[in-house]
Amino acid sequence: MARTGRADVGREAVIGRTTRVRGRIAGEGDLLVEGVVEGDVTLRGDLTVAEGASATSNVEAQAVTVNGALEGDVRARAVTVGGSARLRGDVVAEAFAIEEGAEVIGRFEADFELPPELTGSGSGGKRR
Amino acid sequence: MASTVIGAGITIEGEITTDEDVTVQGTLRGKLVAKDAVTVEHGGVVEADVTGGPVSVAGSITGNISSSDRVDLQNGAKVVGNVRATRITIADGAQFKGNVDMDV
Amino acid sequence: MADTSVIGRASFVRGRVTGDGDLEIAGRVEGEIAVSGEVVVEATGLVAANIEGRRIIVRGAVKGDLVASELVSLEATARVVGDLRAPRIAIAQGGLVRGQVATSGGGAARPRAAQATAARAPARETARREEPRREEARREEPRRVVPAPAPSKAAPAKASPAKVESKANGPAPRGATIAGSRVGPPPPVVPVLKKGTKAVQKKR
Repeated sequence: MARTGRADVGREAVIGRTTRVRGRIAGEGDLLVEGVVEGDVTLRGDLTVAEGASATSNVEAQAVTVNGALEGDVRARAVTVGGSARLRGDVVAEAFAIEEGAEVIGRFEADFELPPELTGSGSGGKRR
Repeated sequence: MASTVIGAGITIEGEITTDEDVTVQGTLRGKLVAKDAVTVEHGGVVEADVTGGPVSVAGSITGNISSSDRVDLQNGAKVVGNVRATRITIADGAQFKGNVDMDV
Repeated sequence: MADTSVIGRASFVRGRVTGDGDLEIAGRVEGEIAVSGEVVVEATGLVAANIEGRRIIVRGAVKGDLVASELVSLEATARVVGDLRAPRIAIAQGGLVRGQVATSGGGAARPRAAQATAARAPARETARREEPRREEARREEPRRVVPAPAPSKAAPAKASPAKVESKANGPAPRGATIAGSRVGPPPPVVPVLKKGTKAVQKKR
């Protein structure tokens, strides 16, 4: 799955397939996890958990793409859960997508208003 | 096609309010308020007061029918309730028990 | 012929819709929906009801839990406040939800709730417990839904299980600012609160 396109490869950190990291990770750029991470991840850039990789982490990042296993809460601008992903944790994001086939357990939370017809009081809905 | 259809296997218990056509092939219990045509097809069961435009019945209605237009009880129809309409036809083979009130 | 039932755009159903067949909702439904086939909530559809079906496809707005034996799919225009439960769940980019999402294959806490209407009630409470705004909406419900049985209001608001939250070491406010200030991927389709406010609410 594509990491949201920053062509600046030099700013991307990779935790390779045979690498295991225990501890917090914080950074300015993007992070690609192909191995194992146990510890919270805070990034200015994007996080990608590749297929076969696993992270036990609470995550804060720009865009988070999960194709492997992620256990922990995610707070991001956009979260994409691929069809091969296993995600257990709560997700707060402005936008998210789940591909069919993903295993997901957690609360998903986006900020939006239902149309006033459904909220009872006619408070500032979008439609009609 | 913008209309409402209650399919053969479906039961609605409650109230339907609509500005469009309603066709009942399944079951409706409660109340039906339509502005346009109401059709109860053969096999359709309505246990509800019905308000509508033209009402055509080949199934069964238990309840009062109030139409701004005409009511047609077709062959096979079974209606128990009062009918209020501008015109009414009761076909041979229709069963009907109730009063008719025609606005003249 | 047509075993698809349609609630048209200009129709409003209050009550329970049950039975065999598919159901297409382009209008409004308040109450309860449980059918054996596919339920499609069209973009114009407004549903305040729990929905149960084999497949549930949402393009419109739903307040209620979606429980499917096969698939729940939220398309790009979907707005759902309620829980999603099905073996397969898909949310297209743009589709938004507030609620518990659980694919039953993943050892969900209540995978079998699909069959038991009663078991769903606590989940609804959970889904709405947070904002006062939604609290209001919930109070509105019973009086508008005429013949539907009170959806077990009395059921205890059971806390949702399996929170990983305990080990969250308080989201650094700095991180929150970062996430909020960057130019990100897709623009929010709807107004968005400041990140900070939410952080507080969520870690209740």
